[in-house]
Amino acid sequence: MPEEDYETREEYEMSILDRISDGLIDGFASLISHFKKDWKKRNQSRIKEWKLMAYAINRSPPTLLGLFIVLVYIFIGIFGPYLAPWPYDFFPVNYNYSTQLAPPGSTYFLNVTELQNGYIIHYTTYIHYPLGSDTYGRDILSILLAGARTALVLDIFIILIGPTIGIILGLISGYYGGKVDETIMRITDMFLAFPGLILAIALSAVLPGRIQNFLNAHAWAQTLVLKLFALHPRDVNNLGKLLAVFVALVIVWWPGYARVTRGSTLTEKENLYVEAARAIGLPTRTILFRHILPNIIGPILVMITMDFGGIILTEAGLSFLGLGAVPPIPDWGNLINQGSQQFPQAWWLVAFPGLVIVTVVLGWNLLGDGLRDILDPRTRRSLEFKLKKKSRGGETNA
Amino acid sequence: MAGLGKFLVRRALTFIPTLIGVTLIVFIIAYVIPANPVRAWAGGEKASQAAIEMIKKEYHLDQPWYDQYLFLVKGLFTNSLLDPLNQEPVFTNIGNRFIVTFQLALFAFFFVVLIGLPLGIISALKRNSATDMVLRIIALIFISTPIYVIAYLFIWLFFIHWNATTLAGIPPNPPHQITHVPVVDDILTLNWSNLVQQVKRFWLPGFTLGIAAAGVLMRFTRNSFLEAYSRDSTLFLKAKGVPKSRLYRHVLKNALVPVITILALQFGGLLAGTPITETVFNLPGIGRYALQAIMYLDFPALIGVTFLYAIVFVTANLVADILYAIIDPRVRF
Repeated sequence: MPEEDYETREEYEMSILDRISDGLIDGFASLISHFKKDWKKRNQSRIKEWKLMAYAINRSPPTLLGLFIVLVYIFIGIFGPYLAPWPYDFFPVNYNYSTQLAPPGSTYFLNVTELQNGYIIHYTTYIHYPLGSDTYGRDILSILLAGARTALVLDIFIILIGPTIGIILGLISGYYGGKVDETIMRITDMFLAFPGLILAIALSAVLPGRIQNFLNAHAWAQTLVLKLFALHPRDVNNLGKLLAVFVALVIVWWPGYARVTRGSTLTEKENLYVEAARAIGLPTRTILFRHILPNIIGPILVMITMDFGGIILTEAGLSFLGLGAVPPIPDWGNLINQGSQQFPQAWWLVAFPGLVIVTVVLGWNLLGDGLRDILDPRTRRSLEFKLKKKSRGGETNA
Repeated sequence: MAGLGKFLVRRALTFIPTLIGVTLIVFIIAYVIPANPVRAWAGGEKASQAAIEMIKKEYHLDQPWYDQYLFLVKGLFTNSLLDPLNQEPVFTNIGNRFIVTFQLALFAFFFVVLIGLPLGIISALKRNSATDMVLRIIALIFISTPIYVIAYLFIWLFFIHWNATTLAGIPPNPPHQITHVPVVDDILTLNWSNLVQQVKRFWLPGFTLGIAAAGVLMRFTRNSFLEAYSRDSTLFLKAKGVPKSRLYRHVLKNALVPVITILALQFGGLLAGTPITETVFNLPGIGRYALQAIMYLDFPALIGVTFLYAIVFVTANLVADILYAIIDPRVRF
């Protein structure tokens, strides 16, 4: 078969999802070209590779499911506090406490007495608990929605800081070798000697006081944290415990990345292209971050994706143990902590937050699992081959 | 075998700097404590100034940091660090509780191997089939489900519905203690009634604790098996016309090498993962001890437990490395 003939027949069999992902990637590329001239032209092969990755995702239902769950989680994490039917710290004050531990689907009529414009007014309203209420009478659905923000903010910031520190230290350690390597790796070993959960427990037990002092001294930090977590200013004294978990998990989460990155850097730096980059006198910073890092980032990305779920698990575990977020700060693990005192009568306090945690963590794990296959160039190439073969039709196969 | 001896010495030597580092981190944790816990130890608001001064002196809290560090290290290695709540050495307190934790980890380990290994191998044998898909998803669900959720599901099922377990108290230790682990002693001394009690108390916590690790082991076994299957030696055996059952036996032998080392690591992980399980199932192990220590501001105890956990974890790593070196001689060089 002549070469041109083969080329003209090279076409992918595309589904609707493929077209959507193509559109998204093209749009993204055009957006970057807007700021960086000729970016699209110079990065054609990269864009093609991205499209191929998207095709691979589109052909793997578990990965799609994971992606869907993760997107919903991020959406609710951003908008959850505003979607919630009630504020996270609202509970009706009444005299017979009937709204506390209300079962799912129950509705309560409340006689409200309020002072408005100098008049005392009485009226009747109702509160509906689709997923039941907690020990204070707060709506669980509202706490779950608002708690997504707590989880997401912790998740993103821990991932932004912890693995970044780890990756940078790993790159430096692997690239320079010698004494630098030895020092960094011994420190990493010290931290890796502790089981993650134990170190996190110990740290989040001792840190809150210090952090609270810092927050009380710095008003800007207070405002920033309150805005990030979408909390009411009256909860400012509970932030210390919440941030202690954050600091503890950052400390726990970097060493693993340092070790993995160092390992891949060690093998990657032996390649000729690194030698060439050094020979033409590129600064070390450029070699590390523009040349070595993109080539070793694949497995690290998978690790990061899985760790998004791992952080949710650990964070909720700490608040389950009574460390970390305390009421009224909305938190999934804390609901289960309340439910543990009331089990099995108030099963909804364990069941619904538990279901949410399992779903979200499963979503991240499915996505990570899919990414592992997709980031592997061999899988991508085989997919490309398969797609082409289909479109070539019967006569060329024969 | 000379290579192995050299490797062991070299590997054991890396243990020492790690140990020093661990004490450093533990000290930093102790040093960070903001609220002065001495008043709480001395008996709260009404504590006399003299008592506070005495306790401060006893724990060297009025000394510079290097003196405090030396005091701490000395206390950790000679077991002279006292738990301020009951004036017993910290590791004496921990010792009694460690047996419970160890037994819990033992039960969990049993379930990990029982579930993880066979399912992982089945998954690999039937790779890319519907069975494989289902098993892989089950493994992922195992990994994604937190202990504190699955524990309540199991309590509801096995305790409230089927009453197949007990959730309170600890069965008595057997009269003749050989290994000091009650279950093992019961089996060795054929003390069946006590053994049944122990199993009834411990199987559900162990099962709960082991679920996540079983999921990890399933995935690991599957990948390890497939990796061993794709080697050239398999191709050779196939070409030779070896029957499938024998072929798989060869592959399995190769695949189990990394699995055995991961098992050692997992046992360390199980020992470290007990705080939540012990809290849910009300078992007086070291995880609960650590959490109680936090509640009562009992920081010598917290430090002792953290230190012990690190030692156990590092030892598990060491054992894994040694196992690997024994099984696979290439690692030693």
